[in-house]
Amino acid sequence: MDFSFTEEQLMFKEQVMRFATKEIVPRVQEHELKGEFDFQSFRKLGEFGILGLHFPEELGGSNADVMTSVLVGEALGEAGVDGGLTLAYGAHTFLCADTIFAHGTDTQRKKYIPKLSSGEWIGCMGLTEPGAGSDVASLTTRAEKRGDTYVLNGNKMFITNGPVSDVAVVYAKTGKDLKHAGISTFIVEKGTKGFLPGSNLIKMGVRASHTSELIFEDCEIPEENLIGKEGAGFMMALQTVEWDRSALLAPFIGGMTYVLKKCTRYAKERYQFGRPIGKFQAIKHKLADITIFIEAARTLCYRIAWCKDQGRPLNHLEAAAAKLFIGDWSLKPANDAMVLHGGYGYCHEYEVERYFRDSRLAPIGGGTSEIEKKIICRLI
Amino acid sequence: MDFDYSETERDLSEKVKEIFAADSKDSLVKLESGDSNVLRSTVLKYLKALGQVGYLACGLEDKKDTMSLVTAQESLATISPSLFLSVEVNARIFGRLIAVYGTADQKDQFLHDVKTGRLIGVVALSEGGMNIVNEPLQTAGVQGGKGFFVNGGKDHVVNAPIADWIAIAGKIEEHIVFFIIKKGSEGLFIGQRFSTMGYNGCAISVISLKNCSVHSKHVIGPFKDEEPLKTLRRWEDQVLTTGSLGLMNRCYSDALSYAKTHKSGNKPIIAYQEVGFKLAEMLTLLQTAQLLAYRAAWMDETKNKDATVVAHCAKVFCTESAEEVASQALQILGGYGYIDGNPVEEGYRYAKYLQIAGTSTEISRMKIADGVLQMD
Repeated sequence: MDFSFTEEQLMFKEQVMRFATKEIVPRVQEHELKGEFDFQSFRKLGEFGILGLHFPEELGGSNADVMTSVLVGEALGEAGVDGGLTLAYGAHTFLCADTIFAHGTDTQRKKYIPKLSSGEWIGCMGLTEPGAGSDVASLTTRAEKRGDTYVLNGNKMFITNGPVSDVAVVYAKTGKDLKHAGISTFIVEKGTKGFLPGSNLIKMGVRASHTSELIFEDCEIPEENLIGKEGAGFMMALQTVEWDRSALLAPFIGGMTYVLKKCTRYAKERYQFGRPIGKFQAIKHKLADITIFIEAARTLCYRIAWCKDQGRPLNHLEAAAAKLFIGDWSLKPANDAMVLHGGYGYCHEYEVERYFRDSRLAPIGGGTSEIEKKIICRLI
Repeated sequence: MDFDYSETERDLSEKVKEIFAADSKDSLVKLESGDSNVLRSTVLKYLKALGQVGYLACGLEDKKDTMSLVTAQESLATISPSLFLSVEVNARIFGRLIAVYGTADQKDQFLHDVKTGRLIGVVALSEGGMNIVNEPLQTAGVQGGKGFFVNGGKDHVVNAPIADWIAIAGKIEEHIVFFIIKKGSEGLFIGQRFSTMGYNGCAISVISLKNCSVHSKHVIGPFKDEEPLKTLRRWEDQVLTTGSLGLMNRCYSDALSYAKTHKSGNKPIIAYQEVGFKLAEMLTLLQTAQLLAYRAAWMDETKNKDATVVAHCAKVFCTESAEEVASQALQILGGYGYIDGNPVEEGYRYAKYLQIAGTSTEISRMKIADGVLQMD
């Protein structure tokens, strides 16, 4: 066993932190408070090479490995980038662009990946529906083949980047009576007749990412917008889990590291009863618990990334355990961080309340903790 | 990065498992309930076998084999928590004290026997409860005879009633030293073996010293600061951290097996989410603890700047997780788990020791916080 990073990986993490601290973080609070998507920051992520990092150079990427992508996620969180922007980046790069890259044709790749890598276009992924969340097989959105087109009808729900996206990867049923095997994947571009994103949902956290319904009413798309083969959609959705449990979880861990730094600073500067509160054991206890969570969580995330870099199929048991731990066990340290700041922690200015709200998504998004437990139960 | 076990890492662990594969079940049961004589002979029997496969030499030689050691330690702690503790106190604490701080003559005298499992050694650290952090050591030697006369006492010394040699932390004037004292030496008194809540297969007692004569060739030190005490605690913490993994493995696998075979309402109880989800949480804690323990050990070996903080994180997380996993396992086993003599009720009783011994959970948390407050 070996837990070392390469020099290049560590240097790139440092570069991302410097870039994010200078270019992104100063804009975070304003956008988060207003619940506005920060197009400028998103495009800067593209200019810096983050949005297409793991794609080949000819498609606008840098050929980076998964572990580097995880470190980038950590770096963004650790620099103080909000969960909204990192979620938007995750949905764009790993759920939308990577599905096209991994399963699309050369033509599809060349058409979409460079624009998604640069941030010129924003992507989203539509799987969840108002009545189909964890139970993917119960999707009701249908894609009917008519000549050389598909016609989509149905609604998608809780779609990150929905209102701002230029291109959507959409899962719909092509096999009428089939369950998982009847799910297919399509590319739908903004402006396509019959495709309408809903209005932005007001959320508890990750507010600078925009989330909405996607509505399809006799939405006609050319047959070349099918990704892969009919019926292969469920496997594509499953493969995004590899990213979801590594690069998409990493910003939560980085964010907790940022919060820890804020806590230690506050604990040193805040005086009560004639001494810094960091001298009190009750405060130290909280600092310790936050640190323990970070150290415990990050290795889980690294393992998923390392396995993907080795070209191994996803170990669903390990992936579910990682998601369950990072989701459920992050709530207490996030709460500790806020309580440590007292009344200030309850105020927007101090940022820990933002992290508290953002982190609440971890046990819900991308598979609830209950679903993770269900997966583990099935596999043990 | 590499999350796979190397061939060497897997090899030592497999050899440890093979020792116990054939005939050891009765011996290990006796270990948990037998008297001190049975205990000594059982420990010596397995020390010899563990010595033959190279387990005892790990950490006593220059080569870096921490990850092999941790992997094999987890296997042994899963097979028998009590034997694991006895063996580790001997090899990893007593043996490493000699290997790292001993004189050439001391190494010649002791190390071969430690590596081959021919002696049982112990290091006695704690006085006045289990704390060496805040109070100075009271045990002290004054010059006399061919060396020193030592007076003082130690609490809760694992292996003391069965040990051949005891290394006692103390002071000469204001400097830390270790007095290596042979069993039966005049002035060395081994107390009655404690009846303990857990780790019943370990002999634990107090030690007192009244004008105990120690030859100067059997003194390690003196040291100018308390670094050796801290290092010993670090080794001890690492043993307890890995011991937690063993407890968790035992409790989890028993609970899983029970949940798959015990039926209620015509289906195995694992099919009920109240049971199955507990197992999912237990496995999550176990996997997280394993990775953290391994990474902490790796950081220690590679002298990572954050190694100390992460080692304390691992100690707290793994030992607390062990108690949680044991508790949930016992709940799953229901009435069967409440009956004496199964790994789950043992694990539930044993787990508390892991949080008390070494650097306690409370002190560990303070040290973690001190570390991060300095980093910022």
